[in-house]
Amino acid sequence: MEYANILQDLLKRDEYLIVGKKVARTDALDKVLGRALFTADYVPKGTMVVKVVRSLQPHALIRKIDYKEALKIPGVIRVITASDIPGENQIGYALPDQPFLNDAKVHYVGDPLALVCASDEYSASEAVDAIKVEYNALPSHLTVDSALASDAIPIHDGGNIAVKTRIRKGDVAKGFKESTVEVEETYETPYQEHMYLETEAAYAIPEGSDKVTVIGTMQSPFLVREKVAKILGWSLSQVRIIQALTGGAFGKKDDMGPLVCAEAALAAVLVGKPAARIYDRDESVAYTPKRFPARFRYRSGADSEGKLKAIEVEITLECGAYANRSPFWLWRQTAHAAGPYYVPNAAIDGKAVYTNKVYGGSFRGFGDLAMQFAAESQMDRLAEKINIDPIEFRLKNILKTGLTTTCDQLLDHSVGIEECLRRVAEASNWSKYVPCKEGSRVRGLGVGCAYHGISTSRGTPDWSACSLILNQDGTFTYRTGICELGQGSPIGHAKIVSEIVGAPLDFIHVELPDTSSTPDAKPTHGSRGLMLGGTAAADAALKLRDNMLKVAAEMLECREDEVELKGGEAFERGTPSNKISFSELAEELYARGISPASYGFYASPKRYFDPETGLGVNYSVYTFAASVAEVEVDLETGETTVLKVWPAMDVGKAIDPLMIEGQIEGAVSQGIGFALMENLILEDGVVLNPFFKDYIIPSALDTPEIAKPILVEKPYKHSAFGAKGVGEPAIISIVPAIVNAIHNATGIRFNTLPITAERLYDAIRRSRQ
Amino acid sequence: MKPLPSFLIHRPRTVNEALKMLSELEKAKPIAGGTDLLPLLRDRVVEAKNLIDISLIPELRGIKEGRNEIRIGAATKIKDVEKSRIIFEKAPVLCDAASSIGSPQIRNLGTIGGNICNASPAADSAPSLLVLDAYAEVVSSKGSREIPVKEVFKGPKRNSLRPDELLISIKFPEPFDTSTMSFQKLGRRRGYTIAQVNVAVLLEFDGPVCCDAKISVGAAASTPIRIYEAEERLWNKRLTEEIIEDASTQCMRAVDPIDDVRASAEYRREMSHVLVRRCLMEAWNKARRLM
Amino acid sequence: MEFSFILNGKRVVCDISDNQTLLDLLRDSLGVTSVKKGCEQGECGACTVLLDGEPVTSCLVLARRIEGREVTTVEGLVDDPKMKSLREAFLEEGAVQCGYCTPGMLLSAYSLIRSNLDPTEAQVKKAIEGNLCRCTGYVKIIEAIIHAAKKLKSE
Repeated sequence: MEYANILQDLLKRDEYLIVGKKVARTDALDKVLGRALFTADYVPKGTMVVKVVRSLQPHALIRKIDYKEALKIPGVIRVITASDIPGENQIGYALPDQPFLNDAKVHYVGDPLALVCASDEYSASEAVDAIKVEYNALPSHLTVDSALASDAIPIHDGGNIAVKTRIRKGDVAKGFKESTVEVEETYETPYQEHMYLETEAAYAIPEGSDKVTVIGTMQSPFLVREKVAKILGWSLSQVRIIQALTGGAFGKKDDMGPLVCAEAALAAVLVGKPAARIYDRDESVAYTPKRFPARFRYRSGADSEGKLKAIEVEITLECGAYANRSPFWLWRQTAHAAGPYYVPNAAIDGKAVYTNKVYGGSFRGFGDLAMQFAAESQMDRLAEKINIDPIEFRLKNILKTGLTTTCDQLLDHSVGIEECLRRVAEASNWSKYVPCKEGSRVRGLGVGCAYHGISTSRGTPDWSACSLILNQDGTFTYRTGICELGQGSPIGHAKIVSEIVGAPLDFIHVELPDTSSTPDAKPTHGSRGLMLGGTAAADAALKLRDNMLKVAAEMLECREDEVELKGGEAFERGTPSNKISFSELAEELYARGISPASYGFYASPKRYFDPETGLGVNYSVYTFAASVAEVEVDLETGETTVLKVWPAMDVGKAIDPLMIEGQIEGAVSQGIGFALMENLILEDGVVLNPFFKDYIIPSALDTPEIAKPILVEKPYKHSAFGAKGVGEPAIISIVPAIVNAIHNATGIRFNTLPITAERLYDAIRRSRQ
Repeated sequence: MKPLPSFLIHRPRTVNEALKMLSELEKAKPIAGGTDLLPLLRDRVVEAKNLIDISLIPELRGIKEGRNEIRIGAATKIKDVEKSRIIFEKAPVLCDAASSIGSPQIRNLGTIGGNICNASPAADSAPSLLVLDAYAEVVSSKGSREIPVKEVFKGPKRNSLRPDELLISIKFPEPFDTSTMSFQKLGRRRGYTIAQVNVAVLLEFDGPVCCDAKISVGAAASTPIRIYEAEERLWNKRLTEEIIEDASTQCMRAVDPIDDVRASAEYRREMSHVLVRRCLMEAWNKARRLM
Repeated sequence: MEFSFILNGKRVVCDISDNQTLLDLLRDSLGVTSVKKGCEQGECGACTVLLDGEPVTSCLVLARRIEGREVTTVEGLVDDPKMKSLREAFLEEGAVQCGYCTPGMLLSAYSLIRSNLDPTEAQVKKAIEGNLCRCTGYVKIIEAIIHAAKKLKSE
């Protein structure tokens, strides 16, 4: 039976107390009072400062790192190089290709070479300048084509292709033969920088001779612990990691958590003093992972009925200097290449290619944002060729229950994309819209659809854990390794606990993740925080509820199924005046030796996967989204203004509609940035715009009107209340909606992002010639 | 990014005291708002051992309306220019420019003199000051001189003041009541951004005839410029859209922009055309409403 | 050199080197951690404080130059009715996500509604153009500011 129904039966409530309702986030109070502590806020004045010495060359052999002069600078305590690392000098995520400190070779401008430890910023900064590095320059690859050339010098052993992927479904040749229209295009998407407001930070405190505690910015405390322990050559139990409140993450802090914490920890342990490592803004922008750039050659065919018959896609992903997450990113693009449509025949090939540039990494949407920009552009182009309305064309091919994905995964429930699409069409008055022109300004409407597999793919085991304690005063202590990054996932868990144990939300205290006391919930990524972490929370709450009910029934002298838990009290459903408070109940549990604590666990249903064909059950469930955007383009300047966005998402079950709206609105802003303005500029591998001044993200004045997001609820049968992840899927449909709206307004279609005013102006001018 | 270098701050109360410090102290530099100077000091683009804080000198602050002349103290905050009744009534083109500089936080710190002395070709106040025929009152311990604001700009981030000189005020003749003006800026987003191109124009009419026209374009050459050859095309004419188009085209030919991370030279050139035309149209339309 | 200024209504004496910024003074020496470091270039607004009542980016203010002046942070406005109203609206409207931009954002909003209890959406957007937020897309922040102002006006 579906989890949502089980809960409904168990809780016997006509209406949920808190699940599905908008609430004020209990964790936001300290944030508005200015009392919320982020990593840097924990660092006492006078703490030893750690800075990184970085490569100035994109590709070179290291001859010598000379830091003698640096050590003479007053205030400089120590310089740490690769040979000082007690454990393994390796920080690669998917592949062991990334030294923590380089001593043989540098792979991009910014590659770390040494750590400087000093008593203050000034001496640390002076020391970084005083360290002389001698290189033997190598030819560098600044494009994927250069790296793929037959005579290209390899950036890493084993050549410049880090990983390959493939899917073969049906018979593509047959599919194209059956097609009456075909579209083949090449799309390119750029780097995108996360530009969260808080840069990466860590504060490490050595304890005794063989322990270290690190407070830092991260998304996966247990991954951080593993990497820090590895570099120190220590056991996991010697390393304690605490995630401080984190000022935005969007994926990058999953990549940067291990790095920044290891930098602080290594310095603290080797010097024997607390160490602070805080990234400067330009360092964060120029040298840390970005959204991977990609190129897609995309061929699609459809028949005269408007049915998609075949797709053939070739993905070239640019890793940059290290593979990092590229195997997972590339697989996600490969698996989602068709967009949320049924296509009987598909051949998809991907390769991830090293170059000598800043490397790619996790970022909201994880490959799907770029991939589905290409897929959705293809859909619009096919519709145009068949001469059919773009939404009508999509509806003919949209994924429904009973259909299979590109990976041949049967979707047997929780498929809400058709409803999302129909409802945004209706809300935006799509069928009646006429593109209009006023002076130099033209307006147009565009649509985008998206789907995103939640959490990890293929056969990787996926689980989450948490703990819940009923304290003597009737309050609860909840611990999860799922991190608060702004998205509010742990508050979602607290709401689930609150609903099940019948405690007001402010009775439930969510502890910061701390590897010494928090159960491992696996990473806060892949939009899994609420769906997996929250289902573990439900498990913990149900177990504790059982014990609470048992004792309450005895205290109230009624049957267990007559006991209601609500508002921090247990009472007899038929006689509400027969009641006890949670503090009385808690004391009784403790007195009787009945466990007042529980450990929640949740494991995703098993999936399988054939590496040869790429077919199988790929993700346990998908979140679907559709958006319509209206834009106005100034034909004289090329400026695009997004006037209004109508978003919809199938969220399974909205645990908190307000927080989901917040995710969607934030995604609209980031999507506008990616589609229209964010443009990292590199010259010879050097980032030229590492500050907010020239890496432009949307400001309040660039905010469009956003219609109240439409939340479609097609529950997922294996998660608490049926909830699915929302953070990443929220952004994916926004970008194609904007790009397609620009086409609708101007007749110009862009295969390359961002569509800056200057690029659009050029295209308008060319189209007139 | 580097930490700020070491320097000493001095806080004179009079112009003479400030001038003495500027001429006697080693590597001395005036600081007003500091919004441009601090990042430059961090980047070691500007070197200073002694910063002379001019914000406490009363005569450097405030906006005064004299006989046919408006004087803005060099250390007057951008915010005060933006909100000034006098400027709003007499030189709205400077109000519009001021409100487009930086963010509210920057406008509360930055000063009009700083916006000029920083000598960015993209300085948002410059095109407006240039069409207002503003001049700069510059003093040193050796004496004083007045130079057109245009001449304060020597090249990108280079001003023409000697190290011992101090900008005291910016003055401009009060425009006629019949003058109409317009300021336009193009950037990479709506909020708080550096101009790709900015333009100001000022038109004067004698009845239906345009008797004077001033056009200035910023971020389209190594300094903000006036485009006299375009202005001449408007003189003593009954304006039409064709004449305006002709003058705007002239501007496109006159500018000499560069490629950088914000825009290509070509886009800047094309946009000076568009922005000049839009400014001229707006100023002309305002005039027609007055006629 | 030793000097004093008013921090959140109380006179503070401090002794720091001339090249320290107000941001560093507040965070490192005075423990005012609501003021956040985001870029140190005056571009993100996370370090916003009120200087003599007006919002400024404290990373661009040399601390020595605030001698005798008044600096206000959110800590100093805990009991202020206008700030209280803004805080409540931020919580109710869901205007807070990661919270890193929040103190600066609240101060810019406070500065606006102190002189204008009937701000238009355009005025609100202009007032916070210097406070970047990467999480919320600004929508709920703008709504919260307008609601707080409306509520104050009706009281």
